[in-house]
Amino acid sequence: MHFKISKNLWLVAPAAIMVAILFLYPLCFSLYSAITLDNGSFTLEHLHTSFELYSNDILFTILIVLISVILLALLSTIIAALIVLSPFRSVVLILGVLYRLPLFIPFIVTAQMMRTFLAKNGLMNNAFIASGLMTPMDTVSFLGWSGIIITFVWKQLAFSTLLITGAMSALDESQIRAARNLGASRFKILTQIILPQIFPTLGVAMVLSTVTMMSVLSVPLMIGTGTPTMISADMAFRVNSYGDYHVANALGLVSYAICAGLAWFYLRHSLKDKGATA
Amino acid sequence: MFTKTKIAVLAAVGIAQFTSFAQAETVLNVASAGGQNMVDYVKTYLAPKFEAMHPGVKVNIIGTGPGDAGSHKILEKLSAQQSSNLAKWDIDVAVVHQKIGGQMVSEGLLAKYRSEIDTGKLVSRDSAKNALGTNVEGYVMPMFHSQTAIAYNSDFVTTPPKSYDELVTWTKKHPKAFGYNGIKNGMSGVSFVTGWIYAYGTDAKTLSSKPYNKDVESNWGEAFAKLKAFNKNITFTPGNAGTLDMLNRGEIFMGPVWVDMFYSWKEQGKIPPSMKLALIAPGMPGQPMYYVTPTKAAHPELARQFIELATSPKVQAEGIVKRFNWYPGIDAKYVKSELDSATWNKLFAEITPEDLSQYGKSFPIASYFDDIKEGYERQVSN
Amino acid sequence: MINTHVTIQSMVLEKLKNMPLKFNFWLQILFILVFALVLFGPIVNLLIWTVTEVWYFPHALPSQWGFKYWHQVFNPYSNVSSSLFTSIIIAILTVCVCLLVSVPAGYALSKRSMPFRVFWMLLFLIPQAFPNLTVYMNIARLFYEFGLNGTLLGVVLVHSIHGLMFSVWISVAAFSTTDPMLERASRNLGAGPIYTFFHIILPQAAPGIIASCIFVFLESLDEFTGTFFVGAPDISTLPLLLYSASMEGNYQIASITALILLVPSILFMLIINKFMSPEMLSKLGK
Repeated sequence: MHFKISKNLWLVAPAAIMVAILFLYPLCFSLYSAITLDNGSFTLEHLHTSFELYSNDILFTILIVLISVILLALLSTIIAALIVLSPFRSVVLILGVLYRLPLFIPFIVTAQMMRTFLAKNGLMNNAFIASGLMTPMDTVSFLGWSGIIITFVWKQLAFSTLLITGAMSALDESQIRAARNLGASRFKILTQIILPQIFPTLGVAMVLSTVTMMSVLSVPLMIGTGTPTMISADMAFRVNSYGDYHVANALGLVSYAICAGLAWFYLRHSLKDKGATA
Repeated sequence: MFTKTKIAVLAAVGIAQFTSFAQAETVLNVASAGGQNMVDYVKTYLAPKFEAMHPGVKVNIIGTGPGDAGSHKILEKLSAQQSSNLAKWDIDVAVVHQKIGGQMVSEGLLAKYRSEIDTGKLVSRDSAKNALGTNVEGYVMPMFHSQTAIAYNSDFVTTPPKSYDELVTWTKKHPKAFGYNGIKNGMSGVSFVTGWIYAYGTDAKTLSSKPYNKDVESNWGEAFAKLKAFNKNITFTPGNAGTLDMLNRGEIFMGPVWVDMFYSWKEQGKIPPSMKLALIAPGMPGQPMYYVTPTKAAHPELARQFIELATSPKVQAEGIVKRFNWYPGIDAKYVKSELDSATWNKLFAEITPEDLSQYGKSFPIASYFDDIKEGYERQVSN
Repeated sequence: MINTHVTIQSMVLEKLKNMPLKFNFWLQILFILVFALVLFGPIVNLLIWTVTEVWYFPHALPSQWGFKYWHQVFNPYSNVSSSLFTSIIIAILTVCVCLLVSVPAGYALSKRSMPFRVFWMLLFLIPQAFPNLTVYMNIARLFYEFGLNGTLLGVVLVHSIHGLMFSVWISVAAFSTTDPMLERASRNLGAGPIYTFFHIILPQAAPGIIASCIFVFLESLDEFTGTFFVGAPDISTLPLLLYSASMEGNYQIASITALILLVPSILFMLIINKFMSPEMLSKLGK
């Protein structure tokens, strides 16, 4: 047993050392500056400032990310399930090509596209007006929190669907076949056979999406308007405008805590799940 | 497994070597903050001119992105090289914003070179000596001067406001038709807020000169409260480009913009010809872009010659004024003689020279500036 | 991957021939239609901007179309093709580095016997989750000391650190779906651990690992801040141009650059799907 554990450690070592040297070590300077004053003495002042000035933004960020993640989980499961379970070959083929498109468009371009698309007199509303579905009076701007969510979901959908479809199609076909033979409906197959088995992948997709959304700067900058805004924008503001690395790093700490919290929740849950089945 | 890694590393190092061999000629590295048009200006206009004058030299230009963020990246890269004690730094000439320029001087990142080049004497603006309270005399040459102003759609707004007071009344009559980008999302919004403090807090003259007095800030409570009320009547836009974008699509009819960006957009057909500019009382701030050269530039001589070329009256006239319709960096009298009067007058078609000298302010010194921004964060947006 | 779907669904199809499918079919078609509209709307916007010369309110569409900005992007002064080439080389090398370190790590971390598993998993999250803005300066300082600045290797390393989150996490998920019984059976039949890994375990995890390659590739192709701090001025990649054009609202240049970047991304995905389909890999194992 001991031999096995140390062997596993060796396998993780190259990746871990890479992260440690190339990221953790430089990161230490940042963390250090989050909790010290300029003269090097320990302080919680920067964290305090972060919460004092940006507590609304922190809340806003959590809400945005949560809503986006829930929408993502729902939509990508539906699409993946359609691809895997749909009896119509044409549907599967079209969907299989369609959902991947946003994968190839960088976040910054997505943000820029959405800015001119979702705006009050943007292409979307113009198209609605031209097709007679709407009058110029009814148009609303989606720039702001709803635009941020739309952009995140639009862009990340491809990512999570790709992962989930992969996991679903890697499942053992005989189980599905057996369930079919027993007369289970497709919906039942999805919820009772497929979903429990792809839960780890779904979790990974959501954790990684959360991390990505928290770190993207271009979307809140280009789609978000006024206040509140996302913490990534606050951090950039702190650095670029005040040259204040202390508070920026303190905000970074908060942002990491949110991501790590979610990841920890998922990991604990998935470990427990495994323990139960094993 | 490990042999594989080794091979990969060796291959990568090999490729890295190969690329460095490929650049055997002298390369002058120019890093420029600011928009793509500034990068293109150096790339397609200045660089060929300079390369023709100096055979065997190649100008390599890197754009670092618009706004303070772009300048900040240059600052951070230089300061990383400084703290690694490198003998030669990899940027020879940099184009940066005023505030970061001041910061770079105080961190000892820049060479004092202005007295060494011929065009150094042609500079007259105060902003060439003073960057938000930091003495930058000798370290910088202005590339061009930029100004914030209120842009409006003259099809819908026939009598533009002439002062902040009139603007406030206007927004009451036309709710949501004025838009600006807050302060986190680009400098045009910051400028607008700074102008607001000049109007309702403390005048520009006090705030733009030393000494700093922490108590001044305490008088701004009312100004911020007024701004908070004002914010209810307006539309928030996403960024500097976002304001122009919303003006273009007719979602707002008025908003603060950078004059240089305004002209670029107009020239590219991205805002209608009916867009006009107004500089309102008691004034809005503007700032220059600086040409600087780092203390340990690899090619200090070439860097100086490059800046000399870029700030010569001819290049300023043809490149900055004629090409972009931007205010020149060196004293106007040297530039004016290089141009026909039509081109020169175009520069002042929107904003008269009188308005410019009366209402074109500079940014406050850094400490007051931070007070304004932090006051806004605490009292207006929180 | 598509082939697998097809086999499953044709199998399901057989069983379902006599079910009332018409309603379902139209429902799914409707879903696809709506989905396609939602997806294509913004993309059409992007495409329009690439050929727009003049477009302002109150025109619903550009009032002047043309390729002016294409000429601008491809003018002789801008070295679009060479920066594109650099971008692609960097992205491919990044994928290699990530694969090399994350396949073993992913395999080890998929074992429940792995000590401090949560700790390791969270470790690989850090480079993406912790906002990089404040860290890059320190990385640049470190790299200047090693002489890695301005080298391809330096850029590849920085990109790999970010790619690791995708490759490690997804590999772990991929390896944990593999069947432990097969592994045990192979060992019981006398196969060595390395043989078992490459012939039994890896093929099972291949779809997930391939997906992770695509994400690492795309991540690297879109990265610009790290490239600037570590690569500039010697190494210039396309996204740097994309970034400045986008942030300042130069939609034409940004859209065209995005279109150019689309080419290698889609090619990479097609190649990797074609030559490394799960079936291929499992055949290699036989």
